Amino acid sequence: MKAQRGILVLPGRGAYTAASRGALPADHDWVEHADVLRRALGLPSLAELDATAFDPSVHLQPIHAVPLTWLAGMLDAERAALDHGIAAVVGNGIGFITALTATGVLGFDDGFALVQELGRLQQRPLPGGGRGGQVIYPRTDEAWRPDEALAASVAATLGAASGNGQGTVYESIELGAFDVLGGDDAGVERLLRHLAPVRIGERRYPLRLALQGPDHTPLAAHLAAGVAERMTGAAWERPQVTVIDGMGRRWTPWSTDPAEIAMYTLDVFLTTPYRFATALRVALREEAPDLLVLAGPGSTLSALCGQAIVAEGYRGIRSRPEFEDAQRRAPIVLTIRR
Amino acid sequence: MTFDRVPIVEHALDTALAALSASTRRLAPRDPVAAGSTLDAATAIGLFEDQVLSRALDVAARELKKTNRSFYTIGSAGHENNVVLGAQLRITDPAFLHYRSGALMMARARQLPGSTPAFDTLLGIVASAEDPISGGRHKVWGSRALWVPPQTSTIASHLPKATGLAFSLGRARRMGLSGELPSDAIVLASFGDASANHATALAGINTARYAARMGLPCPILFVCEDNGTGISVPTPTGWIAESFGALPHLRYLLGDGELDELWAVTAEAVQHVRRTRQPAFLHLPTIRLWGHAGSDAEQVYRNVAEIADIEARDPLIRNARRLVELGVARREELCAIVADTRDRVMRAAEEATRRPRLSTTAEVIAPLAPFHPERVAARAARPTLTDDARRELFGGTLPEEATTPNARTLAGCINAALTDEMARRPELLLFGEDVGRKGGVYNLTNGLQRRFGPARVFDTLLDETSILGIAQGAGHLGLLPLPEIQYLAYLHNALDQLRGEATSLQFFSAGQFRNPMVVRVAGLAYQKGFGGHFHNDNSIGALRDIPGLVVAVPARGDDAARMLRGAIAMAEEDGRIVVFLEPIALYHEKDLETDGDGGWLTDYLPPPATLLPGEVGVHDADARDLLIVSYANGIRLSLQAARRLRGEHGLRARVVDLRWLNPLPVEAIREHAAACRAVLVVDECRATGAGIADAVIADLVEHGVLSGGIGSVRAVDSFVPLGTATSAVLVGTDQIVAGAIAVTTHARAGEAVRA
Repeated sequence: MKAQRGILVLPGRGAYTAASRGALPADHDWVEHADVLRRALGLPSLAELDATAFDPSVHLQPIHAVPLTWLAGMLDAERAALDHGIAAVVGNGIGFITALTATGVLGFDDGFALVQELGRLQQRPLPGGGRGGQVIYPRTDEAWRPDEALAASVAATLGAASGNGQGTVYESIELGAFDVLGGDDAGVERLLRHLAPVRIGERRYPLRLALQGPDHTPLAAHLAAGVAERMTGAAWERPQVTVIDGMGRRWTPWSTDPAEIAMYTLDVFLTTPYRFATALRVALREEAPDLLVLAGPGSTLSALCGQAIVAEGYRGIRSRPEFEDAQRRAPIVLTIRR
Repeated sequence: MTFDRVPIVEHALDTALAALSASTRRLAPRDPVAAGSTLDAATAIGLFEDQVLSRALDVAARELKKTNRSFYTIGSAGHENNVVLGAQLRITDPAFLHYRSGALMMARARQLPGSTPAFDTLLGIVASAEDPISGGRHKVWGSRALWVPPQTSTIASHLPKATGLAFSLGRARRMGLSGELPSDAIVLASFGDASANHATALAGINTARYAARMGLPCPILFVCEDNGTGISVPTPTGWIAESFGALPHLRYLLGDGELDELWAVTAEAVQHVRRTRQPAFLHLPTIRLWGHAGSDAEQVYRNVAEIADIEARDPLIRNARRLVELGVARREELCAIVADTRDRVMRAAEEATRRPRLSTTAEVIAPLAPFHPERVAARAARPTLTDDARRELFGGTLPEEATTPNARTLAGCINAALTDEMARRPELLLFGEDVGRKGGVYNLTNGLQRRFGPARVFDTLLDETSILGIAQGAGHLGLLPLPEIQYLAYLHNALDQLRGEATSLQFFSAGQFRNPMVVRVAGLAYQKGFGGHFHNDNSIGALRDIPGLVVAVPARGDDAARMLRGAIAMAEEDGRIVVFLEPIALYHEKDLETDGDGGWLTDYLPPPATLLPGEVGVHDADARDLLIVSYANGIRLSLQAARRLRGEHGLRARVVDLRWLNPLPVEAIREHAAACRAVLVVDECRATGAGIADAVIADLVEHGVLSGGIGSVRAVDSFVPLGTATSAVLVGTDQIVAGAIAVTTHARAGEAVRA
């Protein structure tokens, strides 16, 4: 029998939640080392934070949430590499940085430095004032069928004129079944006001994401400037397995120019929409995996992976019930964490 | 026993890779692969990845064929060095590609992150409805996002339009309508060595050289991928270099040698075309692996030793050796590329077979002949010019106010309609032989070049294939070309440009590319004093069978102006190809019955008056004794006959002018036929399949709408002779009268009569 071909999927910052507690074994080399680096920066231990009862006002602070997400992802990536044949790696948001460190593009220390610096900078107000934020809004109904009215609402809101106290808004993350839009404070208000209210399952949208800034938009240009400085002297390498970025570009272990992936990571990645759904689509079509192995923390990307499979009609799965049925029989999305 | 060289070539690649020496160094990613080379190490490895990917796709196509799950096995194996073109040309350089362009496409797609070129190709191979370019209608190389208009390219019929597009780039810029392409865009047209012999290939190359000779920009790179064989027939050694190596106004470059050397020559060729805006010819020697296609039994015409000799020149092996020798990549890396690529492609191929295919007629023909009458009518109505602007345009007197007979003829009305359309639609381009300074051999385009300038109204070289090629190229760019073909008989010299290319573009690109045009053709018989077949061709059979082609034939000036507007609006709105066939003999006709009666003169109907397909012309609408169905010269003859029928036989004939011969206005014909006691079809085209008589009669019989006899009069199945002998083969008034008597007096219901 042929070996299984897996795609490793790494989650972004919002994935570290109350349920993630205990993701970091305090005696693991990487956890210990990360805490050495944290202490040097005068920051509390990640292992201790991970062992403490989840407090959104603490754990969701970017300065903690970003490295917690990254480190938990790294540990799962190591496990996934042992348990499955991983042919390519996809990350969502900060998960892309995890992908870079998990595949050796960045060493552990450089990777830690990058995520920690991002978390630190995300803690600060925007250069133009305020903190800005992200708003999530669906594109499909509860059965994962595309709803054109929802897409039209997003297009109309993004297309409306900025200025005059209306703030600025941008596309931030393309999740497939959802759009994440970003803006400054006034922009976020506009998104919440103008997007047509809709209820999917238990949730009402538009929904503001807690403690998130306008990442992957031009409003995050200061992050790019900051991390570029911090990453001077970092060593960038070719990935050990193919990494697919937020534009859907495949960086292979062979033809990748590390300087080019560095340029992407420190600029384009931070300031232009992150197209996670495109990355998943490229992974499904060009890598033809048997499995999507979803690393922790959490398992929130599981539905997005399912939705990507349904949108693509991958393996003949063209609806939510078909996906759920397939998951029961022979899972195509494998979650390492619950 | 099957003869399968795929595993042998695959094994040879593995063996060769394993035998590569272990390298001692590895160049940094942006190091040149050799001193002075502009190819760097990372790019070179990317090229190899794309070549291996292309090879794996060919293998997958043949693997799936074994279980009848793929439908196309013409591959790119052996041609993978075309990868350099994919990497060097931009995705805003339109590319009309040879069917062995796998590696080129993989490299081109690399320029657009988010592309899925391997899976897209597999969807084409398995004819899936999800194939992003053709939607399962053909395996073609194409992509809207990558500016690769699709075609099969098997007979080099894509070269005239590639040249046409290159020529039109400069035209569009002069007209201020450059569209989405940058000002330094160039065009790529690739083809095989055997295809280089096609008349269309030579026409495309000749026209590019002609443009260069005329000092006009025509930035096109011709690439001849020379594998030395056309299916089973060897190309004479040296033939391509001998044929194209020393032509004036065509820079010839030979892309031989190692990958990095080919890279340098290609860069020189691309730069030459981009900088000088003149054509170049890149001769790219290749090999062909595994026969012409999966069904081609190569061992019938080559012995195994010959086949093995060719296989030994596998470009993948040669490139792998070179990359390791130069320190670009290590042996293990190249092996890993091959292993990973094979694995993912075979799995993706299985996935592609699960994707849906087209099944219903409606699905298949959806992009073939779109027609939205309301939108077309709205398009025809806009924009409008003020009376003052028009008055200035027409030099003081509006054509609808003209009283001189010459302004009220068919020719006069068409000239005025062209003027109005050119004035209100800046994207219109009018060209052909003698249409510029001379104003057309029949004065139809008189004054247009003076009014609109030589950028929009110009004479071309004497080649109908190239005229239609320019039209297609201009159409691709968003211009709306009005090419003129001087005589209907000349159109046949170039017909495949409409049949195989222009009308198939929307079909094979699922509506993503279009090349709208209105082809004005002077034609049909009855010219006084200018006889002979070549100027009096009376057959439209070859046009009527082209799927999606619209054929419009006006008989009178007022109709012509309105139909021309409808035709242009259909081309603009729905991307349609319209042949606007103008009856030469009626161009300057003034009279209907007798000299000086002025019965064939009409008023000019200004914009926005429009006629669309289905709208027929009706003369004596209350008549019920007989319906005469006709068009063009046949209308004038039928009206003459109708007068005699009424006076001499007491029969009143309703005469219906079809106006649109493809698609036929069948609903209107049925409606009029049902209201009359007999039907006579007057078809001035040759009897057998050259006109519309068979189709009209069959439709009426099949729909059971006849209450009396039905018959036809038609021209004789002959070429039109010179002089007075023409009347011996063409339909005349006497014949129409006789036919009318026959169908009204002798025939029973539904009985057919051929007069």
